Amino acid sequence: MATTTTVERLRARVGDAAPPISATVEAGHLKRFAEAIGDPNPRWVGEAPPTYLVALIPVSIHLAEAEEYGKGWLNGGNRFEYMEPVKVGDRITATGKVADVYEKTGSSGSLLFIIFETEYVNQHGRTVARLRGTSIRR
Amino acid sequence: MTMQIGEEIPELVKHPTTRQLVQYAGAQGDFYEIHYDQDFARSVALPGVILHGLLKAAFLGQLVTDWLGERGTLKNFEVSYRGIDQPGRPYRCRGRITKVDGAQVELEVWGEDPDGNRTTVGSATVLMRE
Repeated sequence: MATTTTVERLRARVGDAAPPISATVEAGHLKRFAEAIGDPNPRWVGEAPPTYLVALIPVSIHLAEAEEYGKGWLNGGNRFEYMEPVKVGDRITATGKVADVYEKTGSSGSLLFIIFETEYVNQHGRTVARLRGTSIRR
Repeated sequence: MTMQIGEEIPELVKHPTTRQLVQYAGAQGDFYEIHYDQDFARSVALPGVILHGLLKAAFLGQLVTDWLGERGTLKNFEVSYRGIDQPGRPYRCRGRITKVDGAQVELEVWGEDPDGNRTTVGSATVLMRE
């Protein structure tokens, strides 16, 4: 059952940033990802398909207290912004933060929304993409 | 090449299987049990294992990049997950041009289950090469 305190404690995490995480785009991982999504486009041998960055570096920050709310997680949505292509060999650094936390009550009960934002920067210091993700506890 | 508002882009039908969900879980590193453990999925009030939202996003990404090819670049891509989808049911990805502003083209994209429900809806913005 939802408690106000859980939501309040989570709201206090808004603005929290996770330590930056870096990873290198490896040809083998990119190949496994393209196979897993079933996209045979030869372009993905050397370049990342649109959603690949979520597989390179985990996007959500673990918020243990969120698991006190509801029974399970749902993914509400994702928004990607692209500035530059991501290629094999690129060293990507991701910095994630909790952008927002709010509760919505509807006909089927209450839901808790947690918005995560991640910025991806390459080895040249240029931002290649941004991602906004909505995680829902139900 | 001209882009007409309202024009549908070629559809893409995917045939996700439980095997693909396991493959995707491994490739993304998302091991939440609702995507491969039937008993766990039912314990959280789901009818069985369900597709990862981000796998459906990847399908819609393929819809757009297959259509776009080398003619331009994808600038924005957004998806909202409105309903669940289960493996063993075909997933139909569709899209339509909604706006043309010079080299910038906007599309609405969506994924449909076999009953025609739009379980994922979204949009994409592409910049066509000169």
